[in-house]
Amino acid sequence: MADPGSGAAWPQPFAHLSAPNAALYRDVLCSFARAKERFIVHLRPEDVAAESRRESDEQLAQALEKLVEWGNLRADADTGRVTSVEDFHRKRLLFQLTPAGHAAEQAIAFYEEAIGQRGVLQSVALADIADRLAALSALAGEDDPDPAKLHLLLLALADRFSSLADNAQAFMASLRRAIDFSDGDVEGFIEYKERLIEYINRFIADLANSGATIATLLNEVEARGHERLLGLVARREAADAAPSGADAAEAFGRAEAAALESWRNRWRGLRDWFVSGGTDRPSQARLLRRSAVTAIKQLVDTVGLLNERRSGRSDRSADFRALARWFAEAPDEAATHRLWRAAFGLTSARHLTVTAVTVAAWEQDAPQGVPWADAPPVRISPQLRRTGSYERRGKPNRVQDRSEMRRLLRERADREAAETAAARTRLRTDGPVRLSELGVLDARAFRLFLSLLGDALAVRLPGDTEVKAVTGDGSMEVRLSLVPHGGQVHIVTEDGVLSGPEHLIEITDLHE
Amino acid sequence: MSEENPARRAALRALLRRPLLTAESDPEALALVRRHQAELRDWLSRETGWRLQVDADTARLFKTAPTLEDGTHPARGKAGEPFGRRRYVLLCLALAVLERADAQTTLGRLAEEVLNAAAEPGLAFPFGLDGRAERSDLVAVVRLLLGWGVLRRVSGDEESYLAATGDVLYDVRRVVLASLLTGVRGPSTVVATGFEERLAELTDEPVPDTDELRNRTLRRGLTRRLLEDPVVYYDDLDDAERAYLVSQRAAITRRIDEATGLVAEVRAEGVAMVDPDDELTDVRMPEQRTDGHVTLLLAEYLAGRKEAGWDELTDFVRDMAVRHRTYWRKGVTEPGAAEELLGIALGKLAALRLVEQLPGRVRARPAIARYAVEEPTVRVSGQLPKDTGDRPVTDDTRPLTDDTRRADT
Repeated sequence: MADPGSGAAWPQPFAHLSAPNAALYRDVLCSFARAKERFIVHLRPEDVAAESRRESDEQLAQALEKLVEWGNLRADADTGRVTSVEDFHRKRLLFQLTPAGHAAEQAIAFYEEAIGQRGVLQSVALADIADRLAALSALAGEDDPDPAKLHLLLLALADRFSSLADNAQAFMASLRRAIDFSDGDVEGFIEYKERLIEYINRFIADLANSGATIATLLNEVEARGHERLLGLVARREAADAAPSGADAAEAFGRAEAAALESWRNRWRGLRDWFVSGGTDRPSQARLLRRSAVTAIKQLVDTVGLLNERRSGRSDRSADFRALARWFAEAPDEAATHRLWRAAFGLTSARHLTVTAVTVAAWEQDAPQGVPWADAPPVRISPQLRRTGSYERRGKPNRVQDRSEMRRLLRERADREAAETAAARTRLRTDGPVRLSELGVLDARAFRLFLSLLGDALAVRLPGDTEVKAVTGDGSMEVRLSLVPHGGQVHIVTEDGVLSGPEHLIEITDLHE
Repeated sequence: MSEENPARRAALRALLRRPLLTAESDPEALALVRRHQAELRDWLSRETGWRLQVDADTARLFKTAPTLEDGTHPARGKAGEPFGRRRYVLLCLALAVLERADAQTTLGRLAEEVLNAAAEPGLAFPFGLDGRAERSDLVAVVRLLLGWGVLRRVSGDEESYLAATGDVLYDVRRVVLASLLTGVRGPSTVVATGFEERLAELTDEPVPDTDELRNRTLRRGLTRRLLEDPVVYYDDLDDAERAYLVSQRAAITRRIDEATGLVAEVRAEGVAMVDPDDELTDVRMPEQRTDGHVTLLLAEYLAGRKEAGWDELTDFVRDMAVRHRTYWRKGVTEPGAAEELLGIALGKLAALRLVEQLPGRVRARPAIARYAVEEPTVRVSGQLPKDTGDRPVTDDTRPLTDDTRRADT
């Protein structure tokens, strides 16, 4: 081992990741990282042991030594007091992370964070974005907005937005995993399901609400001239970056242009996220919502699948394989049929037939309960007995009779419908007409007219001179008003003459 | 279930005939079942202990076989031919494969995976799907699955697969697949190795230990038999069942009559729930055409005898074939045809529990007497109805069942 103060000549801070005891090394280094978060720099081996919840034994000591060798840690002599003779004689060291070790820890933490990203979208981010945009809109309304304030606001906005977008991307990727659970990783599925439901609860509603707010705010800021704001921020950034020198002005211009372009780009990203550009270019937010809905559908399917597997109580595929074996091993053909019926239960019920004539004969001739041989036999058509078929092929007569009847009925119904339609057309008035002007009605039209009249008169209260009624089937409306001093009218029909006081009548076909 | 609802009867009848109804193949029956599902479920669970499962696309009545000895209920192919062992094995393997399959599959892939499944140790059944005959077995299985709605054809057709010129794409419907097995117990959990023991364990239902529940079990068992089987002979029942049926016969048959429209034909030897509508069955008698006619003539012949030897019956069929050759299909008088016809006819009679086939001979069972040739003197009315036969009469004493039938036709 090299000088404990300096570690190895070339630090290899990632070497421990591929070493046989990688888990132990990770534990040890994590305890240093955690300690550092609490601003503790030096750790004794027993501190490391306490921190990583393991024995302070020879293995740990070796691990520490090895890490010093790789350059992750650095060891210094421990000059603190001891309380036992053994400790005094032992080589006592204090450990701390080297800069290389620290950088490696950070890199690993970053890596793990990126890989382990849960993909849960933050609804907080949405609220933040909306807040910042509102502030931005307020600033945009000012004549001379403070560039520093503006810059901070836009930076915060960009930061929140990029984290939102990253998470959304991770989430969309994780949705694809839904299909992979078909092979029955139940635990994984449940975890996924909970995550998805959490997401739905926390996010979908927020996205729907804040999404619209954000889109409105975006439009508002743009209406107030977001370009001007971006320009201000770009100038401020360029001032930061500008080098001093002869071509300062030119460099400044370049930097400003670059910064402006970058901000414009970010702004467009923000805009595309929340504002749809027509049906063919839906916003990211909308896409996300759609993906979430699809994911929920898949989730339901998968739940169904898992349920179905559980409710089977046994593995159904194994059941069918077992049955296949039983069929193969069945002693004879009849046995396979028995097994088929018992296992599947898909066979038809089976009953002997009887005719009404036979039943009547039974009821007349023989009390139930005599032997079959003494009961009246089933009456079989002599024709069938003689030839093996009824006179006419196909179904017995009565069925044909029925269909004939049905055809007639249908024809009659059709005819009636047509006649009624004609009668309705006949009766329909274009505006109010006098009863006396109705003309001669044929029988059907008259019958319809009578029923309309009846409907109308039925709703008339004593003293009313005008009524309106809709027929029971809702097909026609009739308005009726008494014509003062109209005298008696006579309506001539094929069936006779109807007399009554003159009315104005208006009949509307509501179907038209 | 009260008597005033013919639609409900039709729904129950549909389920008894086809315990798995799908929206594709039986839309009307499914609609009926859906409309009356609550009452049907009540009735079925109370009277038979059978479960009814109904959703938007399917209805499944989880019937159980009322007896395990009856080998006359095979699965049937397109032309009505009974499944053989090979097809049964193929069917189960296909189902095992589909259970694990994705949402879609093709016939080609199914065949491949069935072959793989068949090659697994523990299945003593040699397989190949090289020849057309072998592929046609698979196609018969697939058609059965299509009929049940387990598979739904998306594109292609089975014929082209048979001709080895194309493939067929299917959707797999897990919901239906999940409802195929009727037992409470998964076959894979049965440990017995003998066939009869396996069957017994598979269908075993715990027998309750209170009198009341035991009686309910008896009643359900008898109701199942009466609902499913053409004839229930007292001889086939054990003492407890027989005693219960004798004492409760009227109540049980009345309930079945009300729910299904089946009429009890109560005789000294047993009870047959007969169907005035001639639709609640898969084996018909009487039936038209050659096979039906042979069966009818044979039944009449056997109605007067206790037993008959196979040779005697073959001679009888041969005679009949000569006498009826003008009505029957071609070739019935050729050598070997009589044996074949006899086999078909006896198969039907055995399925209807009218005969029992023993080695070399046939024993008539009591109910076959209902097909005895009618003596003219039996008719009491002076007016001989001309050729009424199977025709209905207008003053039908069972108008409701008649209406049910008419509504269906």
